[in-house]
Amino acid sequence: MRYIKMTTANTYKFLENLKDEATLYAPTKISEQFYDFTEIDDVDDVEFHYNRTIRPPRRFFYPEEETMFRFDTDKVELYENTPREGRFVIFGVHACDVVGLRILDAEFIDEQPDPYYKMRRDNGIIIGLSCLPDEYCFCNVRRTEFVDKGFDLFFHEVADGYLVRVGTVQGHKLLDPYPELVGEVTQEDIDYMEDFEEKRSSMYTLQGNWDSLRYFLEMRLDHPMYERESEKCLGCGNCTLTCPTCRCYDVKDVPSIDGKTGERIRFWDSCQFRSHGLVAGPHNFRPTKESRFKNRYQCKNAYCEEVTTAYCVGCGRCTYFCPAEINFKRNLMEIGGYQGVGD
Amino acid sequence: MTSEQENVYDTSKCRLLRTYDLSEVDKLFLFRFEDPEKAQNFRFKPGQFVEVSLLGLGEVPISICSSARRVGFFELCIRNAGRVTSAIHHLNPGTLVGIRGPYGNGFPMEKFHDRDLLLVAAGLGMAPLRSVFLYALDNRWLFGDITIINSAKYANGLLFQKELEAMKDIATAENISIVQTVTRDPDFDGLHGRVNTHFDKVNVDPENCTVAMCGPPPMYKGMFEECIERGYDPRYIFVTLERKMKCGVGKCGHCNVGTATSWKYICKDGPVFGYYDVLDIPGLI
Repeated sequence: MRYIKMTTANTYKFLENLKDEATLYAPTKISEQFYDFTEIDDVDDVEFHYNRTIRPPRRFFYPEEETMFRFDTDKVELYENTPREGRFVIFGVHACDVVGLRILDAEFIDEQPDPYYKMRRDNGIIIGLSCLPDEYCFCNVRRTEFVDKGFDLFFHEVADGYLVRVGTVQGHKLLDPYPELVGEVTQEDIDYMEDFEEKRSSMYTLQGNWDSLRYFLEMRLDHPMYERESEKCLGCGNCTLTCPTCRCYDVKDVPSIDGKTGERIRFWDSCQFRSHGLVAGPHNFRPTKESRFKNRYQCKNAYCEEVTTAYCVGCGRCTYFCPAEINFKRNLMEIGGYQGVGD
Repeated sequence: MTSEQENVYDTSKCRLLRTYDLSEVDKLFLFRFEDPEKAQNFRFKPGQFVEVSLLGLGEVPISICSSARRVGFFELCIRNAGRVTSAIHHLNPGTLVGIRGPYGNGFPMEKFHDRDLLLVAAGLGMAPLRSVFLYALDNRWLFGDITIINSAKYANGLLFQKELEAMKDIATAENISIVQTVTRDPDFDGLHGRVNTHFDKVNVDPENCTVAMCGPPPMYKGMFEECIERGYDPRYIFVTLERKMKCGVGKCGHCNVGTATSWKYICKDGPVFGYYDVLDIPGLI
């Protein structure tokens, strides 16, 4: 991997240049409490130190709602509505979210690729950014706190700028036109990064790894946690909508007023909704709140073979944004029998 | 289509050629792809399903119930149970619908060869099993004795009842036993009781028999116990399952089932599962 140095001033220049080439999205402060990836007009708005965005980056590749087809009901023909967006850059993606996208790749770009997701993924450039954890983060026990794949460039904070890892050919191409913005990595930079990583590591509230958690989850399917915690659940789906790896969707046809044409639309669904497992009849394969709650805990802790991590990347969003204050990390610790419960 | 690669969610036009009432709520639909080449090349395995689109209303996953040998058309048995299926029931022959598929793994028919065959159907279960049965008839020399147990709550709900009855004489000559039973219909002039109560009428060698089942989920557990107790080889016991499905290709997530270490999509990894899959995947049945 190639390592370069970019000073803070040059980083702003680089972002300014990127903005001219492609649509640039980066984290900005959208309210007193929240951050979100937004389209950048003024690069001074970019937040380099943020904990988590309210919406994960997956929406740039797999939007909340999209028209898959337009159709003609008389001819019974579907007209593909593949994305027309041009090239775009998402700057400032934390390591956990980079892994989140790789997990979605494994699901959407398999032997039967989803054309909508894939086309956007081909057009999207990912630039990672280092971060420090807060009490909601547990990416380290998920082994997603550091990434080697899934980004074009990754910016690591150093004293006077960024040590940049170049992850792909696309990453090299981004830097090629601006040799004046790129410098050599110095010993000080490497030392800074080492200190940063050490500090970062010590800031996590949990240590070790949760690789065996999935077995405990499976062996403790009747754990009292599920009943207790699902009682609190409002079934709002916030945990799944803010999750960087949740990918369930529903499809509906929206006909025109005369019924002759229409659109086939897909939109994010949530396994926490009662309708998720409901079929005609009406039979529901997950009829209770507890069964739906349990399903999420199993699904998020299942093993993604392609990425070799759990589907949960430890970003902390589902807990941070839960209106019922259900603490996913803590509940998992209880099931796994890990230290710290009751602190 | 404008893209270079085929869109997995795109449908092909199929014309409804004929309908046939099977019960008060179930109808048999005969379809043929409009594109002759597509019609000629469409192949499926017993147990696979297609997604049927009524543009403006949506899609539903339906098992194919015809013989995989008969090229050029296929049949679907559809119950009038929801918004889309109700609309399908009102279609007239000649109407076009969108079809994509076939999807799912289907029954591993090669594992069925050179063995006896027991098909156990309850309610709508006969729909996918009819494909298996027709496969066995089309390749009669590859199978030993065959028994079908077809059941429903009421006699008028016995799917393909007439078809099965009509072939009874030939069936006897061909070592095929057809057992039809009802559970809640005192007026039925035939067998009564659940499928497992008629295992004594099954004319197969349990040790050398493949079992394929389809019915409501609560039936499976009891049937597994019944089969194991009677000495059927668990490696040759198969079920086909139902879940909510939207995409059919393992993307939309509705048919996810399992636990953290055994996580499956019914649409892609199933809908056919073996006895040991069921042991492996909690919540499957």
